[in-house]
Amino acid sequence: MTEVVLDGQSLSTAQVAAVADGASVRLAPEAAERMRANAAVWARDGDPHLLRSKWSWLIGGDAPESHQALVTRFVVDHCAGVGEPLPVPQLRALMVVRANVLAAGMSGVRPVLVERLLWMLREGVHPVVPSHGAVGAAGSAALAHVARVALGLGGARLDQESVIVEPLVVNEKEALSLINGSSLTTALGALAVERGQALLRSAEAACALSMEVIRADRRCLDARAAAARRHPGIGYVAGRLRAFTEGSELVLEGNEPDAFCVRCAPTVLGAAHDALAWVTRTVEQELNAAGDNPLVFDDGIVEAGHFHGAPVALAVDTLKAALVQVGSIAERRVFRLTYGQLSGLPSFLVPGTGANSGLMLAQYTAASLVAEARGRAVPGSVDSIPTVQHHEDHVSMGPVAARTALEVVDLLADVVAIELLAGAQGLDFRLAGEAVVDGELVPVASKQAGSGSKAVYDEVRRHVERWLDDRVLHPDLAALGAAVRAGRFASLGPA
Amino acid sequence: MTLADVAAVARGGVSVRLGEGARSRMQRSHAWVAAAAEGALRDEHGQELQVYGVNTGYGSLARVRIDQDRICELSWNLVRSHAAGVGPPMPGDAVRAMMLLRASALSRGSSGCRPALVDTLCGMLDAGVLPEVPSRGSCGSSGDLAPLAHLGLVLFRGPDPEEDVGVAWLDGERMSARQAMARVGLERLVPGPKEGLAMTNGAQLSCAVTALMLVDAEALVHAAEIAAAASWEALRGVTRALHPDVHRLRPYPGAIAVAGDLRKLMEGSSLNDSVPGKVQDAYSLRCTPQVLGACRDALTYAGRQVSIELNAVTDNPIILVDDPDENKAFSAGMFHGEPVGFAADHAKLALIELSALSERRIYRLTTGALSSRLPPLLVTDEGSLGRMMHQAAAAALVAANRQMAAPSSADTIPTCEDQEDHVAMSTTAARRSVDVLRNAQQVVAIELLCAASGLWCRQDRAAAEGRELTLGAGTAAALRAVEEALSGRGTGVPSEDIQRVQAIVDDGSLVAAVEAATGPLARVHHD
Repeated sequence: MTEVVLDGQSLSTAQVAAVADGASVRLAPEAAERMRANAAVWARDGDPHLLRSKWSWLIGGDAPESHQALVTRFVVDHCAGVGEPLPVPQLRALMVVRANVLAAGMSGVRPVLVERLLWMLREGVHPVVPSHGAVGAAGSAALAHVARVALGLGGARLDQESVIVEPLVVNEKEALSLINGSSLTTALGALAVERGQALLRSAEAACALSMEVIRADRRCLDARAAAARRHPGIGYVAGRLRAFTEGSELVLEGNEPDAFCVRCAPTVLGAAHDALAWVTRTVEQELNAAGDNPLVFDDGIVEAGHFHGAPVALAVDTLKAALVQVGSIAERRVFRLTYGQLSGLPSFLVPGTGANSGLMLAQYTAASLVAEARGRAVPGSVDSIPTVQHHEDHVSMGPVAARTALEVVDLLADVVAIELLAGAQGLDFRLAGEAVVDGELVPVASKQAGSGSKAVYDEVRRHVERWLDDRVLHPDLAALGAAVRAGRFASLGPA
Repeated sequence: MTLADVAAVARGGVSVRLGEGARSRMQRSHAWVAAAAEGALRDEHGQELQVYGVNTGYGSLARVRIDQDRICELSWNLVRSHAAGVGPPMPGDAVRAMMLLRASALSRGSSGCRPALVDTLCGMLDAGVLPEVPSRGSCGSSGDLAPLAHLGLVLFRGPDPEEDVGVAWLDGERMSARQAMARVGLERLVPGPKEGLAMTNGAQLSCAVTALMLVDAEALVHAAEIAAAASWEALRGVTRALHPDVHRLRPYPGAIAVAGDLRKLMEGSSLNDSVPGKVQDAYSLRCTPQVLGACRDALTYAGRQVSIELNAVTDNPIILVDDPDENKAFSAGMFHGEPVGFAADHAKLALIELSALSERRIYRLTTGALSSRLPPLLVTDEGSLGRMMHQAAAAALVAANRQMAAPSSADTIPTCEDQEDHVAMSTTAARRSVDVLRNAQQVVAIELLCAASGLWCRQDRAAAEGRELTLGAGTAAALRAVEEALSGRGTGVPSEDIQRVQAIVDDGSLVAAVEAATGPLARVHHD
């Protein structure tokens, strides 16, 4: 199992995903050193009654007398999450993301806070964090549920609770810093980026397979044409598709010009590539940013609005839109592959259609999933509802945006799986030298696919067999869906 | 069949059987299909009569003639190849409702299938055999093909009895279809002519999910009225906005019902109309009859549409045995999920607005400057943050609801070689409406909790000053129910308090306790 070292400056979405999947984490000594120095500045210059001041700002009332009662009330009263608990990977992502914010050494808190969160990750102490009810600005309900367990203040856990969490005494600034930020949005956003990037790479592999079956005109992948449009993503995707189809006897220059779902694939997937590059950069900036308030500098304490989740909320909304395009163009290729008149192959890619419906329903499923993803892709960040008595009067709704981004990625994984299924099924006819001429399936010259496309085909055939007579479709979809989610297709082709 | 019947079977385990009149209707249409399948019927040119899905392929493959000896294989192949769902399984009550609704559609005797299909469905419902039905992947046209095919994998078997491809749950245990059916002593049927089609050709999952949602939505409307009344009193509202003569002038049935229910719930309150000089309230109170009333009317419309669907034939082709034409098979579009999708989308919109209005009252209750001098953030327990984060949670839930506001039925993607070139997306509409409903239930629970805090505050002040304070009959009962759920005034942990109050909203006990004090609230669905 890999180990991730937190330094507050270099956490990547890949590392967040690794921790989500169980990797353990430790704090870099130099980050701990920075934190100690920064905490000393807070001890010297900070308001020791920060929470009391906040109380009076928020409520106009008094905070509890004793220090421990104050911290407890503050944390527990923020525990207002509702709905199903976050799944363990999302919860672990949330914890490591918050730990890294603190490790940046600008919150004025001691390393012991980060050490506690990392210890919980190592030992599998997993708080119950309800997945709904956070608006993505300022004091976060999700982080409060984590903090309650982390400080030994009780709170439900997903694990067996065999590990005892000793009470941890923190000062007012530390209690606030544990929960004052949009880390839930960032954590879910980081996972969406990782899964979304893998999905896009898998979609390129599926597209290459479809191009072979459709006998695409290779000119749409021309490097000069791609460069002329200037968007770097177009060049990148066209290059990947050229590499997949290298050596193909099917994808040739001078074939009939193709419909948009093929001809414009570099443009559409390329646009998604560029969008995801920006989204990734934004999320990685946030992963290593001081998402907290107030911030502690050597020469002063600054109150700002860095808890607000707008930057990542906008980014994950963009990710959703980009990936829905990838899914919707993939569905059109599935439609084309299963459409006898358009593919020159048997309807629904099964010999003896009539008593067999072949992959008819696979295309329906893809269509339904794309439509569902479109609905989920409505941006979350465009909404805002004033909260906390006019004080927090514009919020990011980043958690809504990020949660639906993960849903979109999950829905589209099955769309890509369906294109892979149809692509391999179609390629079997080309490899076997079979095509429909005048309504009859007849022998024609057998053709080879590009070596990259063939590798994609081979990977599909590791999970599902060729469809000759009707069988239950669901197991094929489930097997390929799992393979796509496991990244089996994302790693194919050139980097 | 009514919405309540659907809930009784899907959730209450009420037993179902096929009526004798329906059985004989089914037998007549089945006899006609059997004759067509045997090639005994002729068209006007004296050729063997082609009946879609009996001796032709499906969808765009209707152009392909199927030989007589392959007709049963055609049916079984349809079930297998159409079982194309993905994603997590549907909840049990939705699957049971879907089974009931398909049985109901077939029992109309226009599908040409044997009564044994309905008998077996009823037997499965009675014995608790629950097919595993993946939640995603249906377009709702030509029906919920994939979800119903997953049901078909359990109800049917192929010519080879060893083939065992369905998955079912029985007594909480996941097992193969063959095992589940054997364990309860039911025979799996080999599908005859058209029977694969008859089992799958209708939007029954869309309708099942929508029907159960509408049953829950009626209970939620009542809970929302109770919460609104409690907030109204906590905020010392002006009841002139509820005067019956006012609502007679703009006579939307929903608004009249809400105004009437609110008057009933707040009957006898000494808090209302007690702020000197206040002539009217903010919209979140004053316009409750108009907004919640519009929600009611939308839900009533949805309930009426779904009630038609509950008792409708949804299949293709339809067999009209009494038609004088020799060809009694009428191909039409009776499977299309659009009417149900619209109902679900419209109900969803209503529930979003129900939650949005409730959240604005929560904001008002928790904002010192707006609450007729309740403590800021409803801090009654000195030193706490009161209901600060409750309101934030409600805002997040409303935003989550609004994110789902786009109507699913506005989308369509051509399928099946352009033969099925406009589809309903009704299944997604139905599932989203349930997601919205769950969020709305939580918002209403939060409002109840906040209103209760406001009322406690009024009670404590009155007690301290030695004044009499009377709550409305319904509000008093609601407050008692909330106190009971919280074992007092709360656990001190916001999420736990919300969960406890949500439990009495969801299980109907809050509404039951209030109706025991006030008499029944106005119905949303009229049988």
